[in-house]
Amino acid sequence: MRAGSAFLAGVGSAAIVAIGWQAGVGTLTSSLPQSQAAASGATAGASSSTSFNSATTDTSSQAATTAPVASGPADGTYDGAVINTRYGAQQVQVVISSGQISDVIVLQTQTADRKSEQISSRANPILREEVLSAQSAQVANVSGATYTSQSYMQSLQSALDAAGFTG
Amino acid sequence: MAVHSFETMGTMVSIRIADAELGEHSREDSAIAVLNEIEHECARLNAIFSLYLENSEISAIARGELALADSSDEMRSEYARALDWREKTDGAFTPHRPDGVIDLSGTIKAVAIDAAAALLRDAGFENFSVNVGGDLTTSGDQSADESGWITGIVEPEDRGTILAALRLTPEFPAMATSGSAERGEHIWLRPETTKDFVQATVIAQDIITADVLATAIIAGGHATLDQITQNFAVAVMTVAPDGALQANAKFQELVAR
Repeated sequence: MRAGSAFLAGVGSAAIVAIGWQAGVGTLTSSLPQSQAAASGATAGASSSTSFNSATTDTSSQAATTAPVASGPADGTYDGAVINTRYGAQQVQVVISSGQISDVIVLQTQTADRKSEQISSRANPILREEVLSAQSAQVANVSGATYTSQSYMQSLQSALDAAGFTG
Repeated sequence: MAVHSFETMGTMVSIRIADAELGEHSREDSAIAVLNEIEHECARLNAIFSLYLENSEISAIARGELALADSSDEMRSEYARALDWREKTDGAFTPHRPDGVIDLSGTIKAVAIDAAAALLRDAGFENFSVNVGGDLTTSGDQSADESGWITGIVEPEDRGTILAALRLTPEFPAMATSGSAERGEHIWLRPETTKDFVQATVIAQDIITADVLATAIIAGGHATLDQITQNFAVAVMTVAPDGALQANAKFQELVAR
């Protein structure tokens, strides 16, 4: 699979990041083959001239030197370019494992003024994977836009309440 | 765990009392007694504040038969509370319908949840949750081996699915979710309402704060979201029309892992 499409296919939620970080993700996607070359390359210094730096590189993927470059991004952690937004400088970091994005971390390059406090409290784009929980089976209540007494019967809450009666 | 559901204010109330699983008869009796009190309190609030009831006090005000100045202390105090929230949210939350009618449904449901929690505490219960139509507050622990209360947030496009699961704790015990597709009673979409988000969830120290702020974010969009995350100690998650999520750091701390 082509590197670019593999990157996008790997994250069903790539669009989510794109909403808040259009510029950042645009750079990220287009620069990936370049950074990938840097990540799988022999010299660490080579990556410093690209817009992405491979901070940590999975050694197992380095060992697999026979893997063609076009098979997808190498495992590792990639820092996106610093983008200037109206909230100040922002940066995202993407963790790739098994050729797919396993995590997106918002790095914030904060200036030491009041603006930085505002940035740190802001609601930032997140992936669905980040809020899904292994504890879902233990859910005792659900919160959602108000249901009517009629729609309650079809609601998750009614199922939980029924389970509570018998359990 | 005792679970009790009943209908009020056009929606359903679900109350869970973890303390009542002790199986003592005296405990069960006091649980039944307090649940009765809660039903009566909800009915009492509904009888005063429902615009769906012709005989309610607020309907008399809406028809112009009763001046606000001549209304009950409780009416004026709830109206003042709602106006205070209008100030705090720069007008994104308001107790006034576009036609000028005073509508306190945006706060009264939360007031009922608060009242129910107070009645449960007064009756000696410490571990419980009170969920009214998808907004809830909690106290103590869900069970002996589960600290706090694990609470799901529904997927707006598929309300049979859970989008996220959080652990509500004594620091952040209350959660409210508002949606743009919500029926008219709770949020009547004002002409200036944004289309930025289809769903907003707020977790706060108290349910009134959570409920009002969730409503305000739906109405005020991105600008209100930024204002609220700056000015209030709350956890927030929003869902945009294309499904994109946004959350602040406090929200991510509460995700049940």
